[in-house]
Parts: sequence; C-alpha cells; structure tokens
Amino acid sequence: MSIIKQLIFSLLSTIGFAVLFSIPKDSIFKSGVVGAIGWIGFYISSIYLKSNIAGTFFAAITVGVLGELLARYYKKPATVYIVPGIVPLVPGAGMYYTMLALVENDFFLAANKGTETFFIAAAISIGVIISTSLSKSIKRVKYKN
Amino acid sequence: MDLNDNNRKEAKQLLLLATLAGKIMLKNGAETYRVEDTIERICKSRKNIKYADAFVTPTGIFISLEYKGEMMTYLVRVKSIKIDLNKINLVNDFSREFVGSNMSIGKGLEKLKKINKIKNYNILTKTLFGSLACAFFSLLFGGTFFDFIASYLVSFVVLTTVNQISKYKMTFFINNFIGATLASVLSLLAVKIGIGKNMDIIIIGSIMSLVPGVAIANAMRDTISGDFLSGLSRGMEAVFSALAIAFGVGLVLNVYFKGLI
Repeated sequence: MSIIKQLIFSLLSTIGFAVLFSIPKDSIFKSGVVGAIGWIGFYISSIYLKSNIAGTFFAAITVGVLGELLARYYKKPATVYIVPGIVPLVPGAGMYYTMLALVENDFFLAANKGTETFFIAAAISIGVIISTSLSKSIKRVKYKN
Repeated sequence: MDLNDNNRKEAKQLLLLATLAGKIMLKNGAETYRVEDTIERICKSRKNIKYADAFVTPTGIFISLEYKGEMMTYLVRVKSIKIDLNKINLVNDFSREFVGSNMSIGKGLEKLKKINKIKNYNILTKTLFGSLACAFFSLLFGGTFFDFIASYLVSFVVLTTVNQISKYKMTFFINNFIGATLASVLSLLAVKIGIGKNMDIIIIGSIMSLVPGVAIANAMRDTISGDFLSGLSRGMEAVFSALAIAFGVGLVLNVYFKGLI
C-alpha cells in the first residue's frame, strides 16, 4: 500500500519539477514515469540495503538508464528525462538536518548527517556517470560497425 | 568573383547561425558537449567548409571555421543561465532538420530567432506546478495533509519571489540564499499559525525547488565526456547553490533556536 502511495506522490512530484524546468509538453508524463520508477527504486533498495546512499545510487542508475533509452527512442536530448527524475533524489533533507544539527551545536550529528549528504550527492553523480558512459560506449560501438 | 563574395558572406552567416544555436542551448542549460556537437554539425553541413571546431564552456562559446583557406572566428560570452529544457530540444530538432535538408541560412536564422522567443509555459503555470512538486515531495517524506497545503503555499511564495528577484540579475548565490531564508521563515510562520504540523518536512519540501539538480546532472555528464573545465565549473555552481541554501536555512534556524522569533 505504501509503495502505491509513494509511486503516485513521486509521479506527481516529478511532473511538477518537469514543468518547472519547462520540458517539452509531450514528454512530461514520460519523465514523470521515469522519476517515479527511480523513486520506487530508491524506496525499495534503501529499505532492503538499509542505506540511503545505496538506495540513491541504484535510483540514479535507474533514472539515467531509462532516460538514455527514452532519449534514444524518441530522439530527444537525454537531459529532458534525466533532470526531473534526478531532482527528487538530491539530498535536500540531508542538507536541512546537517544545518539543524550545526545550529543545535551537535557537531557529532552534523558530521554524521553531512557525510551522508555528501555521499548521497556522490552516489547521484556516480549513477549518472555509469549510465551516461554506458550509453556513450554503445554509441561508439555502433559507429564502428 | 561576385559569386565568390556571396559565398563568403554565406559562410559568415553560417557562423552566426551556429553561434546563435549554441548560445540558445547553453543559456537554457544544455551540456557543453551537446552544444559543441551541434555547432560542429551545423558548420560542417554546408559545402566548402572543411574545418570547423568549437570550444564551449558554461560561460562562453568560441567557434572557428575555415572557408577556402580563410579562418573565421567568433566568440560569444554567455552570462545568464536559466533552465528551459524545451528550447534545447527545439534547437536539437532544428539542427537535425538544418543538417539534413537544404534550408537556406537566412531561413534558418529566422527559425532560430523564433525558437528563442518561444515560451513553453507561462510563469504562473511553472510556479503552480513547481510548488505542486514541492508539496508532493513533503508528502513523500511522510508529511500530513496540512503539511502538504503549507508546503504548497510556502513554495508558491518562494518561487514567485525568486522569479521576481532574478529580474534584477543578481548572482545565483543571492537568489538561492534569499529563497531558502524565505522558505524557512514562512515554514516557521505556517507552523506557528497552525496550517502545518512538521516544520522540518515543510522546509525540506520547500527548498526542493531551489536545489541544483540540473547543475549536478550536467556537471557529471560534462566531466564524463571529457570537458573537465565545464564539469568543474558546473560542479562549483552546484556546490555553491547548495551552500547558499544551507546558509539560508541555517540562519533562520539559528535565530529561531536562540528564541528571537
């Protein structure tokens, strides 16, 4: 039940971000679906692996790969699908809790949360890197043939 | 001789066209490798041009092409970056069409200028949907229905204000800082008035509209395709946007916990 809730909320949230970044009208729903699948990937894997960092990593890979595939299929820039899907993964909450801990003079918690935030950002980057370089190497192989 | 001159003029116009296409893409948040690729494709699509190369950073475009042994160079400085992914898509389609067909350069320039003026959604729609995104995000973090409403109202005000501020062309740092400060103050107020319940969830939802998602994605995509300069500068943009948001939130929280509000 909670998965269905998360799916709907993340779909609508990604669609909102998609309009905010003004993506083409015919791609809004598709990018919403990409974002929702990515978020569900995050939700499930962060529960099973008990780590937000690993969850974000898998979610970023999912979003990246789906984005590249859709971009190839519909002949559109991959950014159109990847950016709205990535935004919900960005550790806004981590930033907030780090700041909160700093303000409350709890430096131990701040270091803890800050490190987690940093690594979540790194996980997003690595996820995007992996999916992009996969798609690039596929392109290169195709050109050679 | 006359014919020759005409062609030279055309080559110059082609250079202008390629620059305009690149500028539109870069201004609206495209990755630099995509801009370089588009410019080179457009330049090389016409005959008599054997060499064309572009060097693009997030803040400027340098293009040179060789026409019958003569080098032509053009340099453009790009100052403001705002995100409009639809324009990137349109220029992408345009370049495909321009390269594939025999479109005249004058017509191409006209088309590009039209693309530059297109507004996919008006600002109100963007703001309404952006705040909807933030509100649903607060639900994702376990907010209640009242948090949803509070987050919607707060991020609507924040997005409207940031839009207004960005007309004064201050730096992105100030924009994000003011946005985050406003988001935290309004969230505090919303909880005090009793619209929302969980202050942290409302704040987290509201700052999501300011978070540098495009910069992070582009920094990585640039770096991985070998544009280290662009990757670094986009990465710096992401880091400093995040810092501005954190400072804004931290400032308000600090004042709040010292009991001044």
